[in-house]
Amino acid sequence: MKTNRTTAVMSASCALALTLALAACGGGGGDPAPTGSGTPSADSAITVGIATVDHLTPGNQETAYDVLLPLFAPLVSIDETGQVSYVQAESIDSSDGITWTVKLRDGWTFHNGEKVTADSYINAWNHAAYGPNAWINNFELAPIAGYAEMQGEAPAAEALSGLSKVDDTTFTVELSVADRQFPLQLSDAQTAFYPMPAAAFEDLDAYDVNPIGNGPFQMTEPWDVAGQGDIVLAAYPDYAGDKPAISQINYKIYIDIATAYTDALAGTLDVANVAGSKTAVAREDFGDRFMPLDAPSVDWLGFNPDDPRFDDIRVRQALSMAIDREAVNDAIFSGSQVPATSLTSPNMPGNPDGICGEYCEFHPDQAKELLAQAGGLEGSVEVLFVGGWGQEDMFEALATQLSQNLGIEAVATPSTDFADFQARRDAGQYSLLRGHWGALYASQQNTLRAAFTADGLGNNATFYSNPEVDALINEADSAPTLEAAYEGYVKVQERILADFPTIPTFANRFLWVTSERIDTMPSTQGSPFYARITLK
Amino acid sequence: MFRGDRRTKRRGVSRRLLAKPTFVLPGMVIVALVVISLFPGFFAGLFGNGDPYHADLAYSQDGPCPGHPFGFDLQGRDIWANVIYGTRTSVAVGLTATVLSMAIALVLGTAAGYRPGLVDSLITRLTEVFLGFPFLLAAIVVLNSVSRRDVWSVSLVLGVFGWPALARLVRASVRQVCQLDYVVAARVAGLPSRRIIIRHVLPNAITPVLILATIGIGAVIVAESSLTYLGVGLQQPTISWGLQIAAGSRNFQTAPHMLVFSSAFLSLTVLAIICLGEALRSSLDPKRLA
Repeated sequence: MKTNRTTAVMSASCALALTLALAACGGGGGDPAPTGSGTPSADSAITVGIATVDHLTPGNQETAYDVLLPLFAPLVSIDETGQVSYVQAESIDSSDGITWTVKLRDGWTFHNGEKVTADSYINAWNHAAYGPNAWINNFELAPIAGYAEMQGEAPAAEALSGLSKVDDTTFTVELSVADRQFPLQLSDAQTAFYPMPAAAFEDLDAYDVNPIGNGPFQMTEPWDVAGQGDIVLAAYPDYAGDKPAISQINYKIYIDIATAYTDALAGTLDVANVAGSKTAVAREDFGDRFMPLDAPSVDWLGFNPDDPRFDDIRVRQALSMAIDREAVNDAIFSGSQVPATSLTSPNMPGNPDGICGEYCEFHPDQAKELLAQAGGLEGSVEVLFVGGWGQEDMFEALATQLSQNLGIEAVATPSTDFADFQARRDAGQYSLLRGHWGALYASQQNTLRAAFTADGLGNNATFYSNPEVDALINEADSAPTLEAAYEGYVKVQERILADFPTIPTFANRFLWVTSERIDTMPSTQGSPFYARITLK
Repeated sequence: MFRGDRRTKRRGVSRRLLAKPTFVLPGMVIVALVVISLFPGFFAGLFGNGDPYHADLAYSQDGPCPGHPFGFDLQGRDIWANVIYGTRTSVAVGLTATVLSMAIALVLGTAAGYRPGLVDSLITRLTEVFLGFPFLLAAIVVLNSVSRRDVWSVSLVLGVFGWPALARLVRASVRQVCQLDYVVAARVAGLPSRRIIIRHVLPNAITPVLILATIGIGAVIVAESSLTYLGVGLQQPTISWGLQIAAGSRNFQTAPHMLVFSSAFLSLTVLAIICLGEALRSSLDPKRLA
C-alpha cells in the first residue's frame, strides 16, 4: 500500500508534466476548420492566424495592425519594393516642408455610407492627440504643430492648432519643424493617421469592437473582445479603390502564436507568421510557400549606462567585433535574418548599408587586441533578454560568441516574461540587454529618432542621446528633397556610430507561410496586404 | 540473540539481492552514473573534446563523427560532453532534493509518530496541506519568483515540496515500531526519548523510508527536467538534460540527434533508479522475509 502511494504521487506528477507539455504545444488549436458564418462565396475566403488583439480603434491599438490594414485605406501606402503611392489621398504637397496640403479623393465612403471628408481626419487626429484620452498611438501625432499644448492632465488646447480645413476634401497640416518625411508618416502602419467617421464618436466603446473604416473590407459583426473570438471581415461592395480578389478574411486569434504554425501545416490556416528559430523546419515543410519578407525593424544589444566597464568605446567596439553575425544567422535562423551593417534596416530608402564598417564585421583578433588596449573586461557580462519569446537560442549564441572570442564570461540571462524584463532593465540588473525597434514607416528617420534621441520610445534600450545628433536629424528632416534627406540621415548614422552606443546585430525579416490556395501575397514592410491576396 | 538474528536476516537479504538481475543491472547503471558525476571531466574527454561549453557554430546541428560520438547541438557544442556534465547536474539535484525532503520527513514524521495527540495532529494537518498542492504546480509558482535558478535553488524548492509523502510513511513506520515490546521496555526503563528514538526506533523504522526515497530520486530528476523544459527550472549556464531536451525539441524535425541522447540518458537513469527501488522493496518486504 505504501508503494502504491508513491506510484500514485509519481504518476500524478508525470501526468501533470505531460499535460503541461501538451498544453504548451496544443493551446488554441481547437477548431478544425474555419467557419465562414453564412457567406455566399466561402471559396474565396481566407483564414489568417494572428496573435491576441487589444483594441480595434486605429488610434488606440497596439496589436491590431493585421486586422486594421484591410479595414482602412491609409492616405499613403508603401509596397514591398519601397514604392510610395497615394490611396485615400489624391496628393500631399508642401513647398517648405512645414505646411502640407492634403487633398482627398472625392467619392470615397466609410462602411456606413458616410463620406470620407477632411473632418474625418481632423476629428480623428484631434481625438488621438488629446493627452487625457490616453490613446496608445498618441505619439504618432507629435510632429504636428500644437501637439505639445494638448498633453498633460489639463491641457491648454483641445485641438491641434496645425490642422485646418480648406474644403470638404482638402485640409492643411502645419508641422512644428520642417519634415520631408511627413508623407511617409501617413502610410499604412501609422494607424493614428487613419480617418474615423462621425458615427464613431457617438459611441467609442461600440466602435472599438466594431470599427467602421474606409478600406476594402468591413466588419461582419462586433468582435468578442473578452473571448478573443474570431474576427470576420467581408469585402465592402462600395469601396472606391482597387477591388479585392477575395471575399472574406477570417482572423483566428491565438494566445500562443506558435500554435498557428501547426494549424497552417494542417491546412486550416491560409496565412501564418513563423518565428525566426523555425526557419529550417518551415522551409522544409512549406517549400516555396515559406516567405521571408524584409521588415523595417532591427535588433541590437544595448549597454548598461551605469556599468563603468563599458565606458571605454574600445570595449564596446571590441564586443561588437567579436560577434560572427553571419555564423549566428546561419546556425540559428538558417540565414533568414540580415546581419546588421548599419543602425537601420537595409530596406529603408537610402539606407547606408555597410556604414558600421569593420565594427559590425567579425574580427576576433582585432577585437581581442582592442579589448586588451582598453584594459580588458573583468567579471560576468549578463546579456538580458525576454524569456519565453523563442529567442533563447539567439542570445545563447551571441553570449557564446562574446565568451569564446574574447575570453570573457558572458551569460545569456532570460527574464521570466516581458514585465520581468522591464523590471530588471529599470533596476539596472544587466550588463547588456536586448534592443529592438520596429519602424512604423519606411524611413531611417523613424528608427534614428526612436532609438537615439532622448524622447524616443526605443531609447530605453540604447540610453543614448547627443545634441549634435539631434541637430543633424533636424537638418536631415528639413532637407529640401527626399534624396538630400537620405544623405542627411547617413551623416546622423556616422555621428552616432562615432560614439558606438550599441552593438547592431540583425535587421529582421518577418517570416510567413501560406496554404496552397494562395497565389500571390503582396506585402508592406514585412506584413501581408491581406486585402490584395489572390487565390489560385 | 536478537542482534544475531538481525544479522542473519541482513545477510540473507543482500545475498538474495545480489542474485537478482533486476537489482544488479540497475545497480550497475547507477554506480556508473555516480562515477560519471564524480569525474565528469574524465568521461567527457574520452573522445578528445571534453569542454561542454566550447561552441563552434560552423558545426551547428552536425551529426555524430569521429571525436564527437553524439554529434553537435544547435550552438555547435559537443553533445557527448554536455550529456556527461548533465549527468552530474541531474544526480546532484536528485540527491540534494531527496536528502533535504528526507531530513524534513524524518524530523516531522518521527515527531508525529512518537508523540500521538496534539503534535501528531498538527504535523499531520501540515502534511496534508502540503500534499494538497499539486507538486509541479507549486514548484512552478515558486520557481517563477526565484531570480537565479541554479542547482541549489531548484533542489531546495523540489526538496521543500517533496517531503509530505515521505513524512507520512515515517510517521506510520515509527508508530508501528513504537508499539513493539522492546520500545515499550525501553520507555518503561526510563531511557530518554532522544536515545530511544535514535537507538531503537529509527534504525528499525527507516527501511521503507529509504526505499521510497530511492524511488523518489528518479521522480525528482524527472521533475527537474520537466520544470527546466518548461522554462522555470535550471537556467544557462548550468548544463542540464532538461535544457538540452528543450533545445533539442525545438529542432527535432531537422536534427533529431540533438534530442535523442539526452532523453535516452534521462530515461535510463530514471528507469534504473525505479527498478532498483522495486528490487529493494520486494526483497525487504516483511511478508517475503517471513
